[in-house]
Amino acid sequence: MKRPWYSFLYVRSPLAKIGLGIVGVLISIAVLLFLGVIEERRMSAQEANWNGRGVEKGAEIYMNNCANCHGVDGKGLPGVAPALHSKYFFTQRLTDVGWAGSLHDYVKLTVASGRPSKTHTQWAQVMPTWSQRYGGPFRDDQVENVTAFVLNWEEDALTQGVAENPDPWQPFTDTPSKAVASDGAPAAEEVAPEATGPLPPQELFVSMGCSGCHNLDQPQTSDNRGPIAPNMGNLPEEAGTFVPGEDAETYVHNSIVNPNAYIVEGYMAGIMPQNFGERMSEEEINAMVAWLLDPNRQR
Amino acid sequence: MAVQPEIEKRGFVQTVLDAADDVFTRITAGIPAGEVRRMLRGEAAGRPNPRLKPHSETFLLHIKPTYYHDSVTKFTHTFRLGLLSTYLFFVETITGLILMIWYAPTPERAYVDMIRLLSNVPFGQFMRDIHRLGAEMMVLIVTAHMVRTYLTGSYKAPRQFTWFTGVILLVVTLFLSFSGYLLPWDQLAFWAVTIGTSMAEAVPPKVVGETVNLLARGAPDIGANGLLRFYLLHVLFLPLVLFLFFFVHYYKVVHFGISLPSNEEEVGQDTANKVPADRRVYFLPDVMIDETTFLIGFTALMVAVTAFFFSAPLESIANPQSTPLHTVAPWYFYWLQGMLKIADKTVAGVILPGVLLVLLIAIPYLDRNPSRRGRDRRVAIISGVVAGIVMIILSWMGTPYYAVQGAPAVEIVQELMPEEGMGPVREIGYQHVPLGVYDTRERPESADEEFNHILHEFEASIAAFAEKDASFNNAYGILEVTQEQPSLKRITWKINWLSPDGKEEHFVRTFFLHEDSLYWEQYGLKDFSFVRPPTQE
Repeated sequence: MKRPWYSFLYVRSPLAKIGLGIVGVLISIAVLLFLGVIEERRMSAQEANWNGRGVEKGAEIYMNNCANCHGVDGKGLPGVAPALHSKYFFTQRLTDVGWAGSLHDYVKLTVASGRPSKTHTQWAQVMPTWSQRYGGPFRDDQVENVTAFVLNWEEDALTQGVAENPDPWQPFTDTPSKAVASDGAPAAEEVAPEATGPLPPQELFVSMGCSGCHNLDQPQTSDNRGPIAPNMGNLPEEAGTFVPGEDAETYVHNSIVNPNAYIVEGYMAGIMPQNFGERMSEEEINAMVAWLLDPNRQR
Repeated sequence: MAVQPEIEKRGFVQTVLDAADDVFTRITAGIPAGEVRRMLRGEAAGRPNPRLKPHSETFLLHIKPTYYHDSVTKFTHTFRLGLLSTYLFFVETITGLILMIWYAPTPERAYVDMIRLLSNVPFGQFMRDIHRLGAEMMVLIVTAHMVRTYLTGSYKAPRQFTWFTGVILLVVTLFLSFSGYLLPWDQLAFWAVTIGTSMAEAVPPKVVGETVNLLARGAPDIGANGLLRFYLLHVLFLPLVLFLFFFVHYYKVVHFGISLPSNEEEVGQDTANKVPADRRVYFLPDVMIDETTFLIGFTALMVAVTAFFFSAPLESIANPQSTPLHTVAPWYFYWLQGMLKIADKTVAGVILPGVLLVLLIAIPYLDRNPSRRGRDRRVAIISGVVAGIVMIILSWMGTPYYAVQGAPAVEIVQELMPEEGMGPVREIGYQHVPLGVYDTRERPESADEEFNHILHEFEASIAAFAEKDASFNNAYGILEVTQEQPSLKRITWKINWLSPDGKEEHFVRTFFLHEDSLYWEQYGLKDFSFVRPPTQE
């Protein structure tokens, strides 16, 4: 019989075959030993990897759901939601609220179950419940991810409290801080932004927190109502029709400085902060009214 | 037996040696030490053959033939693919059992258990990788086994039933592999299985399809029930079916003997069981040594490939609300996905695969040609090769390269930074993505060489799409990398272009990248950079 070209691969001796088998076993053992030696490091790299990926996922969730109120940079919006990217939050908050557990548990609980029970609050909006367990949209792993993302601000937040990097924390009126100045806690006056002349209404609409509740693009109709506050897409046409005797300008101006004077049907009084008259100059308020009533308003 | 008279008669040393040989013979189930020595030296057995005893003494050997025709022991006749399939089934059983220790089949735990297995169980990743690799190899090798059987015509009389059980074993292997796909409960698994089970829905009439789908998924959509059902299919039902059919298959193989190479016998003859004395190769020791060495070599190869070149994928946790771009079936079902792209779900997903299965089973009855010689079977071999080529083309059509291109902007970003999996940007990683704004109109350069490749690719990809797509004009991209948090970068892809009627369009996609994130591809050299901690700058 003709020997094929690969006949040099033939192994005939049983001992040679057994020898090859032993070599195979030794190779397997060597590879497994190598894996065993680096196994500890591999496991910690994997652990860090999955924590990192959790933060990535959490960042996406935060941007789509939380940034509206807590700010894109996590420093909160005045009158809307407190800062999370804050030294106070990482160092003092638990003591002030008397929380015995870890900050991780505190954040996770707040994300999961919200703060639905607050009645007299300085914040424009209640923290909704986010966990599916309490009627929200997120699975447990998503709650965990967004918690990991919030806690990932720690390193940066701890560098706050100096003049060029102030702590953005806005003190809670219902839980006065027990911190003393030596703890590095921010003084209340440090937090208040410096007046820098009239700001454009576009900027104020975000920084004052209006955008947290009022949608500028959607019109307010009977089948398309803003969930917390009326939509403002069709405000220029509708503003003059709410209160008899008030033209559009007067109505919007009144609604900003004295929100409870007239409440659109179906919404609650006391949700909108009462102090915009103090926090914005008359000039700014007038510019805001004009901008809101401009049918071609530009962002 | 009294010990003392024995010692008196034959001396102490001889008695101990005899006793030792006796123990040895018991361990080897009938072969004394001297005979083992002759085996290792390659000496022929005496007559009567003392090496047959283990076949009658031991359970595991009694199902093995005592001798083979020397022509079928040649490696290139069978490539030992049947043995290999069986061995892989045992590898899968053992690694699968080990993986079961750390796994609970519920949506709340399955994915978390995967992460825990990877990051907290010594050799956990290795076990998972080798289980996954074994599953894919098993599909490959069972298929190759069938192709070999087809090409040598070994399905012909009297082995029609052996072929039938073989087809069943192939189908069970495919389902075993596929049912295991869902268990990690990631996006890859969830959507592949959602698509797979939705084919069952296309079974006519409607009420049957819906019932089958409901039975498989346990609910209108895959959830806790579906996962439990797939788990039970994977770890109990399908292995049992495979086990049963394996023994039927193997019994038939031994009963008829392995068919000889066609030039060893006359056309129409089957002399596999009439082996002349001078052509016999005994299982002990020759075939056993061959098989053991072969399996050890294969194991060593598998261990090495798993350790260095194969990583089982794990994407984001299953999310029924969001379908990732370019959802694909496992590669061994690409052909099915390819057919589904060109034909209706009922035809391509149910009727054609059903017809194919019946055809496969019917091959021994359709092919009335008694000859197994290649030159007599031109029609059969050519049609087999054509079928194989069609399968490969259909498989290619099943990949995202065929007929599922999305909008250019979406595809450009998907190519560089896919929604799931690695992609070039995650491959170079956090350290190599410098902060900044990079506008493709300004031929951007950064300090990082690897990142520059990405920028060039971004630019080239936009240019390529702008050239071939008429609705994508004056396109340019802006890549923005900002520091979102400590160790977290935000990567924003913006692509602007003009639509045919001159309107400005844009597409924005934001990703986040963490310093510690590792992403990996399924095939390819693994990243061992964790062995050396990164140098602090």
